[in-house]
Amino acid sequence: MISFNNVSCTFSNKGGIKNTNFIINEGDFVFITGHSGAGKTTILRLIYMDLFPEIGEVTIRNYSSKKIKQKEIPHLRRKVGMLFQDFRLFPDRNVYQNVAISLYAAHYDLHDVKNKTFNMLEQLGIKNKWHHKPNELSGGEQQRVALARALIINPMVLLADEPTGNLDPKASIELLNLLYEINQNGTAVIMATHDYSLIKRIPEYRLLQVSDSKMVSIT
Amino acid sequence: MIVITFLIKEGFKSLIRSKYAGAFAILVIWIALIIVGLGFITARDALVTVNDIKTQFDIDIFLKKTSTPLEIKDLATTLTRMREIEEVEFISIDKAANIFEEEFGEDIFEILDYNPLPPSFTISLNRLYRNPTSVESIISKLRNEEIIDEIKYRKKFLLLLEKYQQTVLIVIVFIFLFLTLMSVLLISHSIKMTIFSRREIINTLKLIGATNNFIRSPFIIEGLLQGFIASCLASITIFLISYIQNNYLQPIFNYQIIIGYSYYISMIIFGSFMGFIGSIKAIRRFLA
Repeated sequence: MISFNNVSCTFSNKGGIKNTNFIINEGDFVFITGHSGAGKTTILRLIYMDLFPEIGEVTIRNYSSKKIKQKEIPHLRRKVGMLFQDFRLFPDRNVYQNVAISLYAAHYDLHDVKNKTFNMLEQLGIKNKWHHKPNELSGGEQQRVALARALIINPMVLLADEPTGNLDPKASIELLNLLYEINQNGTAVIMATHDYSLIKRIPEYRLLQVSDSKMVSIT
Repeated sequence: MIVITFLIKEGFKSLIRSKYAGAFAILVIWIALIIVGLGFITARDALVTVNDIKTQFDIDIFLKKTSTPLEIKDLATTLTRMREIEEVEFISIDKAANIFEEEFGEDIFEILDYNPLPPSFTISLNRLYRNPTSVESIISKLRNEEIIDEIKYRKKFLLLLEKYQQTVLIVIVFIFLFLTLMSVLLISHSIKMTIFSRREIINTLKLIGATNNFIRSPFIIEGLLQGFIASCLASITIFLISYIQNNYLQPIFNYQIIIGYSYYISMIIFGSFMGFIGSIKAIRRFLA
């Protein structure tokens, strides 16, 4: 489903990744670990094609980093859900609007926006907060809203870049359990983290370890 | 359709969120449109007045006293056939004497014992030819006619009118272009500020798969709305100005402002178009 074929993508101020090869299959739960600046975020950005490799090729289903056109990138991103450490919610919109905008942006089956959005909020346990603005929610609740926004368009893979970085231990575990549940329903999850205590909580996972821009181990 | 409704709503919300920048842009465009609108009315009325004056502009063709009735008739036919000429009036020597008496209150026969006034034609020109170049061209054509003794018209007056008309037009066009450009730049600047303040949101929208058109549309609608609101306000202001002038100040200024519905509609279309162009300009630079 996702393949990195001899991919190098570096920056002038160091960082990035070099000569990286791996394949992620449908339904995988993958942790990308490594210290800060090791290249974890670069891998995620290459997957959602915010970055392009200098050498090598990144392939996500039928989309190739070598062939993709600029106008096709939004279509790729509708198949890739994203979670960030800082949630990236729209501060001037309530929870419902933050989630529903994904459907509008993706032009996704627009006849039932309301029902779809409320169903998703219910699944993630934040339906009763639908009218709240992000700044009225806890960190854990905000990350759930971000997760709802990512999941509502049924992505084939969910990318999470240090999603627990701003959460307390309890909220972090709750989020991880949610991600595992989502993965059990067939969505691949790729999570960048340097919190090794979380990794052990998932029964079955793959691990990509990066260090100084290089892939040091793959399981 | 659902997406379009959503984007229109987003455009409205975006305008409300832009607060002071949006309100300031609307205020300045409102003032600019009032100046352009009133300038247009003033120029229109000034040009109408100039044209009215020009309709009273005649050319006098004095004939030789030896002209025979047949020669005069031939010349009348020639004049009537000229497309530049709207009206031809023959002034016989007797009619000329009557005019002299009307204008000076004296009978020419009593002063001189004979009538020295020559027969003449007074011609008025079609509207398109009431300018110095056309008049000179007509006169040079008529000079070949042997029975014509002299052709007179108020050359200096016509030149002055022409100059006045051109100056008014140049000033108005200059003001119009300047204020239009200023308004477009202001709208563009206001939208740029909105885009800049929302750059994080725009990036997030890109990450969740929004197309460039989806991201741009609310900003275009915001610019359109700024232009639309400003032009509606300017139309209302001009309507009130004309109402006060026509109902309360007319005896003082002896001037009536006549404005049709098409004027207000044109102003609103023009204002909205300015908003559209301003937002497109901002988006091209910042959301490429």
